Amino acid sequence: MIRENEGISSDVIRGYNDTMILCILRREPSYGYEISKQIRSLSNEKYIIKETTLYSAFSRMEKNGFIESFEADKGLEGNGKKRTYYRITPAGENYYNEKCEEWKLTKEVVDSFV
Amino acid sequence: METIKNYLETMFANLPNTAEVLRAKRELGQMMEDKYNELISEGKSENEAVGAVIADFGNLDELAEDLGLKKEVEEERALMEASPRRFIGLDEAKTYIRFTAMRALGIGIAVALCILCATGPIMADGIPGIPGALGVIALFGMLVVAIAIFILIGTAGDSWKHLDKELCSIDYSTANYVNNERERFKFNHAAELTIGIILCAACWIPAAVLGESRMLSASRFADSLSAVMLLVFVAVGVFLIIHSSLIMGGYEKLLKLNDRDTVGGSYVPEFTERYSNQAAGTVLKYYWPTVRAIYLIWSFLTFAWWRTWIIWPLAAVIHSIIKGVVKTADNEEVAK
Repeated sequence: MIRENEGISSDVIRGYNDTMILCILRREPSYGYEISKQIRSLSNEKYIIKETTLYSAFSRMEKNGFIESFEADKGLEGNGKKRTYYRITPAGENYYNEKCEEWKLTKEVVDSFV
Repeated sequence: METIKNYLETMFANLPNTAEVLRAKRELGQMMEDKYNELISEGKSENEAVGAVIADFGNLDELAEDLGLKKEVEEERALMEASPRRFIGLDEAKTYIRFTAMRALGIGIAVALCILCATGPIMADGIPGIPGALGVIALFGMLVVAIAIFILIGTAGDSWKHLDKELCSIDYSTANYVNNERERFKFNHAAELTIGIILCAACWIPAAVLGESRMLSASRFADSLSAVMLLVFVAVGVFLIIHSSLIMGGYEKLLKLNDRDTVGGSYVPEFTERYSNQAAGTVLKYYWPTVRAIYLIWSFLTFAWWRTWIIWPLAAVIHSIIKGVVKTADNEEVAK
């Protein structure tokens, strides 16, 4: 399991937090805890993202115009409490594709030495 | 859940109170709450859930950097290291609140005694059969008790000097507690203050009623009874005003310990008086002690207690006028 701030692995993975979040938002708009839960389950419980890291990524990507936030009730089982949802923008889609290309290249390069 | 809330508030306590920071706090709080609720619904114990939520919170340094607050966080840290703040915990805050209640009662009684002490000679004068010496003894007796109370409370107050002299701060849950206590006291405060002011304003009524009634009119007894009633009204009124104001002041002093510009200072009372004009500030600082001195000197020289109280309402009006003038002067200075 990768936890942040534990060893060198966190440095590599931190560069791809944005990619993971954007990947989840490409499917449907979502909110903070739901996104962290999905990152956890999609990585087969191997990566747990910290709350502060997640919120940092939200605020940074919102400033860069990759995602937008809006207030909405929480799904069907909602208790009426509003949550801040995020949705991906076209600029975010572009950025996601760039990062995917970058990762493919990185992976190829690193793989040739592993 | 309360633990998580306090943890979050403590983490954010020294960050600047801006919309961006408050939003970050709200969002993080929501994420933590969602996670906590899910863990509880999975059957985890309260302690396990709290532990897991706090373990996955992360650290604020990174967030501060992304919010553009890196400088502030580092400055705050350097400041804390250079001049560490003395930390006032919940227990100490509670002790201070108890001390304030005791002091409010003591000073209220002592001031009331100072006003009432004149009733001794007045009664000795008005009621036949009471020797004049007894009245004077009563006067000095009351004064001695009042002075003793002042000295005792002054000495007890010495152990709280650090609240004024040192940099102190209170944590979120303590501030929250003090604020709740203050809110609860607000009604009493308003009630005591109103009754106190009404009593002071209505102190002439017994004299007027006694003056009207034919049975007693024009007797020395009636005259002295009117004077005594007047003083009792004023004494009780002043007691109520002092009592409620001092207790309120205690709460506000604790809440003012935190820096108003940070999240931790959310409860700092809105209105704090500051005079940019140094001279005016000094004048106002010594205004009430001077008025008190004039009142006592005048009263003791003339022994016209039924007349000298007029100094208080007059002084209050003059105080408002000075304050108004100083404020306008300050504003003009700012405008320049």
